[in-house]
Amino acid sequence: MSDTTMRQPFGLRIASVSFLIFWSFLALFPLLWIFTMSFKLPLDAFSESALDVITGPITRERRGGISILDICIAGAIFYAILKVPGLFGRRAVRFFARKRAGLAVLGVAYAAWLYVLVTGFGVTGPSVLGALFGGLLVWLFGFSGEDDDEGGLLGTLLAAVFYVLAAGAGLWFVLPPLLSAVDSAALQIPLVDYLAHPLIGATTEHYMSVWFDRGFYRNFLNTMLVTAGVTTVSLTVGTLAGYGLARSTSTVAFWLLILALVFRALPHSVLVTGYLPPFIASRDILQPLWDAPIIGSFLGLFTATPPTLYGQPVAVIAVLVSINQPFTIWMLRSFFQSIPKELDEAARVDGCSDMEAFRRVIMPVMWPGVVTTGLFSFLLAYNDYLICSLLLNSQNQTMVPSITQFFNSETTTTDQVQAVAAAVSITAPLFLLVMAFQKQIVSGLTAGAVKG
Amino acid sequence: MATITLRGVTKRWGQFIGVKSLDLEIADREFLVLLGPSGCGKTTTMRMVAGLETASEGDILIGGKRVNDLEPKDRDVAMVFQSYGLYPNLTVWENIRFPLKVRKVDPSTHTERVQRAVDMVELNDFVHRKPAELSGGQRQRVALARAIVREPTVFLMDEPLSNLDAKLRVSTRAQIKNLQHRLATTTIYVTHDQIEAMTLADRVVVMNAGAVQQVGTPIEIYDRPANTFVAGFIGSPAMNLLSGEISEGVFTGDKVRIEGLATNHKGPVTLGFRAEDSGISTAAGEISAQVYSLELLGDCTIVTMHAGGALLSVKAPKEFRAVIGDPVHATVSAAICHLFDATTGERIEP
Repeated sequence: MSDTTMRQPFGLRIASVSFLIFWSFLALFPLLWIFTMSFKLPLDAFSESALDVITGPITRERRGGISILDICIAGAIFYAILKVPGLFGRRAVRFFARKRAGLAVLGVAYAAWLYVLVTGFGVTGPSVLGALFGGLLVWLFGFSGEDDDEGGLLGTLLAAVFYVLAAGAGLWFVLPPLLSAVDSAALQIPLVDYLAHPLIGATTEHYMSVWFDRGFYRNFLNTMLVTAGVTTVSLTVGTLAGYGLARSTSTVAFWLLILALVFRALPHSVLVTGYLPPFIASRDILQPLWDAPIIGSFLGLFTATPPTLYGQPVAVIAVLVSINQPFTIWMLRSFFQSIPKELDEAARVDGCSDMEAFRRVIMPVMWPGVVTTGLFSFLLAYNDYLICSLLLNSQNQTMVPSITQFFNSETTTTDQVQAVAAAVSITAPLFLLVMAFQKQIVSGLTAGAVKG
Repeated sequence: MATITLRGVTKRWGQFIGVKSLDLEIADREFLVLLGPSGCGKTTTMRMVAGLETASEGDILIGGKRVNDLEPKDRDVAMVFQSYGLYPNLTVWENIRFPLKVRKVDPSTHTERVQRAVDMVELNDFVHRKPAELSGGQRQRVALARAIVREPTVFLMDEPLSNLDAKLRVSTRAQIKNLQHRLATTTIYVTHDQIEAMTLADRVVVMNAGAVQQVGTPIEIYDRPANTFVAGFIGSPAMNLLSGEISEGVFTGDKVRIEGLATNHKGPVTLGFRAEDSGISTAAGEISAQVYSLELLGDCTIVTMHAGGALLSVKAPKEFRAVIGDPVHATVSAAICHLFDATTGERIEP
């Protein structure tokens, strides 16, 4: 493709660039607007003047605000947080994975963080602690096997989680006192003090009341539980089924794919109608299993009586997976088909069993495809309203349906701004996720044949 | 020590027969080439030896041990693929090291063994590159190194040169021949290119439509083709095959009359001779026809003419000049002629 064939006429270029600008403005405007609104008192947020919504004079008067200096410092810190993993991440993971001392340091840091988490936020239940500690153990021993896979997948994942948690805690506890200290210092210096005066009114009180008073953190944790469950199950089944179907030439495989398409075409509410009665009656349905001689005593270790699935995240995960699975299978299958068959065969002749060939040769090449498919699964579970609102009870509710609790017949303007703050809270993780995986997503979406 | 034995090996896909009851003995350290047109079952045969296809019938033995039910990884074979089959996410070094790693070979020997393989295929400058950053010839050398690093008992090569350009093909061919000689490993090599087969092989197996046509050294196959298929497949240009009648040592066909053939056979036959054994004469010859076309090859000129129900190629000196349509005569002595049965195509011994 030469430069000349792709050259646009001047008029076309003007038109396409201006359309692009218009379109991004149109798409971004609502997000930016609710983001601005969520930091203002209701009087400012619903002010007639657009300028007042942005600068927030009443908020600035009553609650204070942020100065230009604050914006600069916070911006620099955010930039650093985003850039550090790219610059040092791989080396750090490799270091921690190889050196015993590094492992110890990371282990201690993890334990310290856990301690803060448990004591500081009063997370109840030793189960959470146990699960995290178990994860830590897996991570420590997971490293000892391979010596050269740059720290391994599990290590990278845990290091990333650790980094996000550490950065979040740092921002939460360190940034506000730091900013106010810098501001008060700068106010003493003539001329510079203009930069340190509060310029834009801002308050985080809506976020505080949404997340803690109204218990939005519980909805957040539920969303994480549901999305993690849906993504894990969809990807596990999807990669295995996609690989099998991509390599199979039998007619059964073809009909399975067609059947999957039919399931994909079903309206979501139809699936819920089908699932709802067994979920409500699950205690009676499952009772025979608990009464069975050996299985029963084993299951009895977990709960004395069979659970009622209705209202539990497990039920939502099951329904969302069955909605999502056809799509993941089709998408992953087409990714697998773009991988030449010689790769499997070379691996098998080189000494891999079928499963090893899949794990050591095919999966590393498939990575962008898995990330892209995983993102779509995540988004489906994350954005789902219908199934979560129908199948979950209020204490297990996820974030998106829980926004409705802000609106009822006695809705005040404060409730509305809190709803806006909740909406921003739901959007923010998506941005972080897309930014973190942008490279894989792009290569996954544009991936053609993998040339060996 | 690895001999390979195929006993009555058959491959069937539903009604279609890919390989028909194949019997073959491959000696230790032998370089055996499976040669045939596409779809003749040569690649299928090799994939059955590798374990990538299961044989519908028959036994495959490597080193005297039946391997039909073994996974490819347990057969101790190494394979080079037509489209390389390199792992795109690994560097050249890691690609070559992969078989050692998977087979849990003592890690302290890895560096030395990979280095030796890299030296053999002369890839020292490229070990840190990914396969995508290499040219076709370099990729195929990586694939070769990956095959030799483990020192397997059998090499299998599936048209390794067909994705390379003509010049690179000649040099890589020499490299493969040299490597096989140095490593002294039993090798099966699949190709549809008869020049590759002639230059590389200790023995050639010519296959067509799933069946073996002839097994022999390149010279045997060239000098004494077993049937018209082998005769028409080997050599460049291929052997001329004319149809006609023979009676009392005299072959007669359309515009052809050859005398003095040492045979008692009578009736319709196919007569074959090679272009390079015959000559052009302006005065008189066994074949008299008009020039159909002329091809100057540099060291000689190939003259094509219509006679005996076929297009014949005859070698002429490079100074030979004629225009299409000129009458010419070809001299074909009885000694250079091969006779084949007109219906079965089998060779008729004099």
